[in-house]
Amino acid sequence: MGRVIGGIGSSHAPSIAHAYDHKKQKDPLWAPLFDGYGPAKSWLAEQKPDLMIVLYNDHMNRFFFDAYPTFALGVGDVHRLADEGWGKRDFPDIPGDSDFGWHLARSLVADEFDPTICQEILIDHGILSILPLLWDAPWPAPIIPLAVNVIQHPLPTARRLFKLGQALRRAVETYPRDIRVVVMGTGGLSHQLHGQRFGFMNPEWDNRFLDLIESDPEALAAISHHEYMERGGAESVEMIMWLGMRAALGQKVRRVHRNYYAPLITGYGLLVLEGQG
Amino acid sequence: MTEEIFGTHVFTGERSRRGYRLNKLSMSLTDPENRRRFLADESGYMRAMGLDEHETDMVRRRDWAAMIEHGGNIYLILKIAGTVGQTLLQMGAQMRGETLAQFMATRPGAAAGR
Repeated sequence: MGRVIGGIGSSHAPSIAHAYDHKKQKDPLWAPLFDGYGPAKSWLAEQKPDLMIVLYNDHMNRFFFDAYPTFALGVGDVHRLADEGWGKRDFPDIPGDSDFGWHLARSLVADEFDPTICQEILIDHGILSILPLLWDAPWPAPIIPLAVNVIQHPLPTARRLFKLGQALRRAVETYPRDIRVVVMGTGGLSHQLHGQRFGFMNPEWDNRFLDLIESDPEALAAISHHEYMERGGAESVEMIMWLGMRAALGQKVRRVHRNYYAPLITGYGLLVLEGQG
Repeated sequence: MTEEIFGTHVFTGERSRRGYRLNKLSMSLTDPENRRRFLADESGYMRAMGLDEHETDMVRRRDWAAMIEHGGNIYLILKIAGTVGQTLLQMGAQMRGETLAQFMATRPGAAAGR
């Protein structure tokens, strides 16, 4: 039987990828962000999970509005990297796990979640912007990408993401092999990238969110998209993906690490949690 | 959903429908060969993608605010910006009706001395 050993919530952003690729790790503007990932990286290196399920969103690289999935699951053995419009980043493709991926597909559908099942998927900054901050390439374990529509309304509700996380846990626990799994949810925290409200951030709300995701995630599951957008900016509605991570850990958790930094136009959040049985 | 949050255009089905051609053009720019063709002949490329005069004009003027208003999705029109060498911060300043220097001086992080 598989086991969910822990979870990671993390922002994702092209700016993180850009700073990394331009070697800004020690730049005073960026050091608090990169240094903040150190303890998360150490924790992953100690825990050595057999695979990581990542809830994230595609930023119009794999999926277009001709046919836009609410949930899409990557079940291939390898995931290629996206060219987002300014060239591919210089990293190896990301391994997948087809056996687990199809198990997850069967389990989710039996559990009344119906993802689009993708034998080919492209990974964009929704995962790749932070992956090198958590793992060194070549990537040490497979990733099972689970893309969520947080772009074209109607979006799945925060409560739906919470229930999806519970379904992920059931899927891991019904896998016949004794694997140790980390679930990650990416996105947010506060930011708005369009319109006159461009640049809006709300560090107070972000920190409240980080408190609640740990202590009372059901309270966050009850919040509407409109309220997320109002509190944190339109694009911050991505934060609902953290609920999938949190719900996969069960009720009680222990915090391993937390970091928050908001230097530019995005509140960068990071949280590492372990499940407590 | 009503658009009642200041300065915000929630990306609804209605917007997605209206901005479809503009967004499809943007999506095509994830291919380096298409970026090369776009840069070589913007107007011809946009005509071939079926954009109308209004849409073509917004792109030609790099009017990000108008593109968003029209139904362009930020993650997609960002690909046009990337192709023509503009950054998200430049787009953002323009959408706010500011210069980049004005935005950088007044953005929230600036207050914290960053």
